[in-house]
Amino acid sequence: MKQAGERAWLLEWAGDESEANAKARAAAAAVRAAAAPGFLDAVPSARTCLVLGGPGFDAAPLAGLEADAPAAPPGPAPRAHEIRFTPDGADLDEIASRCALTPEGFLRAFTGLTYTVGFLGFTPGFAYLYGLPLAFHLPRRPGPRAAVPAGSVALAGPYVGIYPGATPGGWNLVGTTARRLFDLRGDPPFLFSPGDTVRFTA
Amino acid sequence: MTRGLFVLEPGVLTTVQDLGRPGWGAWGVPTSGALDEEALRLANRLVGNPPGAAALEVTLQGPVFKAIGDALLAVVGGPFGPAPGEVIRVEDGKTLALAAGPGAVRAVVAVAGGVDVPQVLGSRSTCVSARFGGFQGRRIQKGDVLSIGEPFAPPLPGRANVARPPAGDVTLRAMPGPQEDLFDPEARAAFWAGEWRVLPESNRMGIRLRGGSLGFVETAALPSEGTAPGAVQITAEGQPIVLLAERPTTGGYPKIATVAAVDLGLLARTAPGRSVRFERIPVDEARRLLAEREASDRAGSAR
Repeated sequence: MKQAGERAWLLEWAGDESEANAKARAAAAAVRAAAAPGFLDAVPSARTCLVLGGPGFDAAPLAGLEADAPAAPPGPAPRAHEIRFTPDGADLDEIASRCALTPEGFLRAFTGLTYTVGFLGFTPGFAYLYGLPLAFHLPRRPGPRAAVPAGSVALAGPYVGIYPGATPGGWNLVGTTARRLFDLRGDPPFLFSPGDTVRFTA
Repeated sequence: MTRGLFVLEPGVLTTVQDLGRPGWGAWGVPTSGALDEEALRLANRLVGNPPGAAALEVTLQGPVFKAIGDALLAVVGGPFGPAPGEVIRVEDGKTLALAAGPGAVRAVVAVAGGVDVPQVLGSRSTCVSARFGGFQGRRIQKGDVLSIGEPFAPPLPGRANVARPPAGDVTLRAMPGPQEDLFDPEARAAFWAGEWRVLPESNRMGIRLRGGSLGFVETAALPSEGTAPGAVQITAEGQPIVLLAERPTTGGYPKIATVAAVDLGLLARTAPGRSVRFERIPVDEARRLLAEREASDRAGSAR
């Protein structure tokens, strides 16, 4: 466990990233569910969980969570989402050829997989999904676009992501969805939570 | 009649802020809130508000208001307007211009009763980047009418002498960051010994600094991780960014240090072009300084 500030603790796991992330999610859920006095936030990420406390927060139990992340995290059960999208991404042909497939072949494979929401970040509602096979792990584009279309379904490294709004972005664009990822009129306001599963349909 | 402030001139970046919305980091939501928490607490205390009441954060150029009904305000932070650090009474129909004084970059303007905007995800703060919270999710504009709540308590007599812009050299106390060991000894020494200039490209996400480059750091292998307030990221060009209240919740740059929470307000008050240095302190000392600050806040608000 590392110290990331006076009252900021970074729990970290080595090994396969998606397995480390599952531990980070479980630890974050456990800290959140415990709601100890002074608890402020628990942010799971690729292979870490950042815990932020306020006055009176006792960090002593965190080391135990790092050593032994709970197998079944407490909190709400993960939800399963089906995301309909249009395969109109500017990079679809290039993605397919880099994966040694036709666009149709790539889309067949892409829509046949089930992904897991590993963590959210970058902007409210932006989710990093695990579940891509190694052959589909592509580098980011050399120069980020000034603005990608809102709802862009995109790939970079081990992740699938969906851009909630038109923001700058360097990921490879597969297509677009009309689903809203962050909507304050919604209950809950976020489509995805860490641990949810996602399937794409074109 | 609704009491409020009619915006005659908005200033460059004037937003509603309170103590922010911690707790939504797992959904990618920045904390937001006043960059200078010390100034927020103090300005609110002066006008009789609870320390976390919603106030206005002004940047570089102050706004001009016309009062709708009598209003009590206090400006703390950079010197803006006629009486920084004092309670200002503005009568119905009268105008208050908060012109920037020398060295002013940011200040908090508290108004007795607080700025009356809806709570979003537990806070009245504006998230400028994602356009929600605060006043209609945006910086205030000419012609806006900001409603003011019912006063909480009578204003505090006297004036506040703290939370002013720094006069001399700025030294920020900081503790070692979680990736300090990714930097070679020369880069570490250069960071702690260096003089760093505040760049005008700084914003509510972070203060960008420029000085001697710390050299290239291989960041591609560093996966995203949660970001703490005050974290000092080193970009691929070897330059620091100190992350503030509206930082993205996760980031992949290595963090060489974390600025002590008690010195983040000072950094927010330091104008672009000024230079800062970092003074290395142990985590325990930073924690003790923060606890002292909190104890004095409690003593102050109990008066």
